[in-house]
Amino acid sequence: MPWMLPTILKNFFGGPATRLYPAEVREPFEHARGQVSFNEDKCTLCGTCVRRCPAEALSQDKEKNELVFYPARCIICEVCADICPRKAIDLIYKWRLPFYTKPVEVYKPRGKESGKAEKEAAATREPALNN
Amino acid sequence: MAARTTVPFGPQHPVLPEPIQLKITYEDEKVVEVVPAIGYGHRGIEKACELNEYTKNIYLCERICGICSYIHSVSVVEVTEKLWPVELPPRVKYLRTIWAEMSRTHSHLLWLGLLADAFGFESMFLQFWRIRERVLDLLEMTTGQRVIQSVNVVGGVRRDISPEQKKTCIETLNTVRKESEALIKVLTKDYTVKSRTIGKGVLTKEQALQLGCAGPTLRGSGVREDARLTKYDAYGELNYEPVVEEAGDSYARALVRARELFQAIDLQLEALAKLPEGEIAVRVRGNPPANEDVMRTEAPRGELFYYAKGNGTRNLERLKVRTPTFANIPSLLVMLPGCELADVPVIVLSIDPCISCTER
Ligand code: SF4
Ligand code: SF4
Repeated sequence: MPWMLPTILKNFFGGPATRLYPAEVREPFEHARGQVSFNEDKCTLCGTCVRRCPAEALSQDKEKNELVFYPARCIICEVCADICPRKAIDLIYKWRLPFYTKPVEVYKPRGKESGKAEKEAAATREPALNN
Repeated sequence: MAARTTVPFGPQHPVLPEPIQLKITYEDEKVVEVVPAIGYGHRGIEKACELNEYTKNIYLCERICGICSYIHSVSVVEVTEKLWPVELPPRVKYLRTIWAEMSRTHSHLLWLGLLADAFGFESMFLQFWRIRERVLDLLEMTTGQRVIQSVNVVGGVRRDISPEQKKTCIETLNTVRKESEALIKVLTKDYTVKSRTIGKGVLTKEQALQLGCAGPTLRGSGVREDARLTKYDAYGELNYEPVVEEAGDSYARALVRARELFQAIDLQLEALAKLPEGEIAVRVRGNPPANEDVMRTEAPRGELFYYAKGNGTRNLERLKVRTPTFANIPSLLVMLPGCELADVPVIVLSIDPCISCTER
């Protein structure tokens, strides 16, 4: 293996290639996609994200005023965050920890009550992409 | 006459992370017959694509393959765009080319590592994968995810490469090139590597053409054929020439991939330098019209073929995918007979089989 020698020597004196995870964590990249986070204050339960989610990870119940999120189905594609007219969904860089039972998150949107804010947001919103 | 034994290779085998079975008949230590059996990983994605809205197909088709996921998403997006047809801004074409070549870089690094692993060169395997990590970091930085990028939409892309990211990309790609050069030297000069690959699994030019092989398997047999020659995306504007090796054995296929690795880095650097300013997405209105079209793209493993038929509704009437490994599996029936038992894993790996792609 003479041709491998330079690499071997470099590794021998170069220190470890890995980090001491979890003590030492790499800085996340800006806008890397970790998991979905909702803002109940902004959401008006318009249902756009429910219709567009490719993984059917969202469902809504207009009568009970509930938006239900199934994190185990979410593929972290960011479609809901791009498409939401009120920007009530955001993707944060923080991995969801492993779970034993599939979690179900129920949100109670309050965005409708603040109707004025809704109009303002609608006026300033950027056009969503074609997803 | 020597005794004949039939040994199943797979569906669970250390060199293949995915399930394929080859029923191999040996005479003493020599292979005399190979019968492949596929179908362990069928997921019905083509049918599911017909039931989905066309915008959701992108996220499903990306999951056909974990390694060439980006090329799958480019193909499904571009075949859908061809139905209108949509005129893409130049920046989108360049961005798609850059990411496609990035995924080719990491796929070839992965394969070179697996090749080293197949003949027991564990340290080289991990060194290649260590370099690959840098490319995955670049993908995460520019698209938001390491493996399944989810960055294409019909009519454009969802992320842009900022000037700072461009600088980091160029620096990292140069490091990747320097580090790969040191390791490729081992691949091309080391006695162990040569003795395990040269002359093993020879596929002549005529056989490769007759069996309809694709990608590095075809180019390793001396055929100048590559879907990038159709000048889709920005390839028409870049300095691109297919890598061809004449010998047709496992070593030639390894060399094709090694040279393509450097070529992919060059293409990325060139595309980054030429990256035009402008929009990253155009608005596409309405549903896919009643129309049909095909798209040929070059995945790391060979030519990927998509066919789409629209019918004016939100759902496509038909989406057909033909993946490169499906075209390459028949070549094993020619390459394996006559080789030794111990060479089977290396030869099977030399076509870079991706079984979940094949079965969808
Ligand atoms: S999160 Fe946004 S898109 Fe979803 S229901 Fe609420 S307002 Fe509508
Ligand atoms: S990130 Fe994607 S999969 Fe997850 S909830 Fe949003 S749209 Fe659905």
